[in-house]
Amino acid sequence: MKTYEDLAGDGGSNIVEQVQNLGVKLRSRLDKIKYKICLMSGKGGVGKSSVTANIAACLVDKGYTVGILDADLNGPSIAHLLGISPDDKLVIDESGIQPGNGVHGIRIMSMDMLLSSPDQPVMWTENAEASAVWVSTMESTALRELVADTCWGELDFLLIDMPPGSDRIDNIRGLIPELSGVVEITIPSPLSQHIVSKSITKNSKMGVPVIGLVENMASYVCPHCDKEGELFEGDDVETLSTRKGIPFIGKIPFDTRVSRKTDSGGLFYMEHQESPTGKAICTVADAILNFIK
Amino acid sequence: MKFLCIPCDTQMETQVDGIMPEENKNLAMKFKCKKCGYSIAMLTNKFETEFVSKLGVEMGGASAEGKAPLGVVSSALAEGKEELKKAAPQADDLIWTEEAQERIKKVPFFVRNMAKKTVINFALERGITTIDAKLMDEVREKVGM
Repeated sequence: MKTYEDLAGDGGSNIVEQVQNLGVKLRSRLDKIKYKICLMSGKGGVGKSSVTANIAACLVDKGYTVGILDADLNGPSIAHLLGISPDDKLVIDESGIQPGNGVHGIRIMSMDMLLSSPDQPVMWTENAEASAVWVSTMESTALRELVADTCWGELDFLLIDMPPGSDRIDNIRGLIPELSGVVEITIPSPLSQHIVSKSITKNSKMGVPVIGLVENMASYVCPHCDKEGELFEGDDVETLSTRKGIPFIGKIPFDTRVSRKTDSGGLFYMEHQESPTGKAICTVADAILNFIK
Repeated sequence: MKFLCIPCDTQMETQVDGIMPEENKNLAMKFKCKKCGYSIAMLTNKFETEFVSKLGVEMGGASAEGKAPLGVVSSALAEGKEELKKAAPQADDLIWTEEAQERIKKVPFFVRNMAKKTVINFALERGITTIDAKLMDEVREKVGM
């Protein structure tokens, strides 16, 4: 009787060939991007997307070409932050989908850009009764398509704005094994630090390079006199980075102009580079540049 | 996974039609020996099929839909933009009623192409040009398992 090895192919589905073709397609996109960096936090609401967008602006200001992949499929915010209108038409042809042209030339791909209206959630057509089973499959497939089917072109940096939690890093690592590193973001609150410490531990165990830890909303900056005051009570975030053995790469003060600016489709960094918050964002961007060197 | 017809010592081939996967429970795939014509069915539960689907491949071979940019997202996103829907390639010249389109969309992507082929072949054999829910019920009854 014939054995497994004696049989050529799998009888018609060509699974191996399909997997190889998907890999080739993905690789052809990724090879044109020099550095792929995740910005993540175990905790939601720490300002990941805002920090990601402003670091992107800082990198553009330094002369780099930058794209942002919004990996937060169910709570996408990058398109809104970078001034992509929900009415913008998608351009899709055989080569793929054109990324959104965000402010300052930042290339964007986000689930938000694919939805018919701004208040539409991401829902899949599969039977609702089976959605609990299919949703994780659909999400990992959607993420692969967003990376592989977007015509990113030549990029110096692809910043990946991760959803809250640490589970999506498994998907990203599978898609982008050459990931340059991960920036972890927390706020000073003990709860946030507690959750982010788990995310750091997971990345360490998975062998994902951690560029460093950023303390966002570290203090409050008065927009009139630039004086700083405490915003949260909590342990020193630098202590957490020391305990976890990763670099502490920035302390970004809260500035009300960050959210006001981003809600108007602009980016804070470009207009307030000399403010304490602008300088802190630049420090984080410099740490990323030093890391990849 | 491969299937061997023991009496003929020949690999069994995946049948890309003739099986109507249940929409929300499990997968049924048919394999046939090209030498003796004997057929078998592989039945899997939803967790086993989910495992296969995570590879991002399609059973029965890659379809035009699957090869197109954002092929899975465009065909499976419930409220996508019009341009996204238009980008999905049309696989046949038959008319699908809205209800039939909705029903076929509920079949998991990685076996949807097989399910479509089953319905299309059933319709073509009978000279039917419009696929509606009634026809799909008939396919399920006569062809499905």
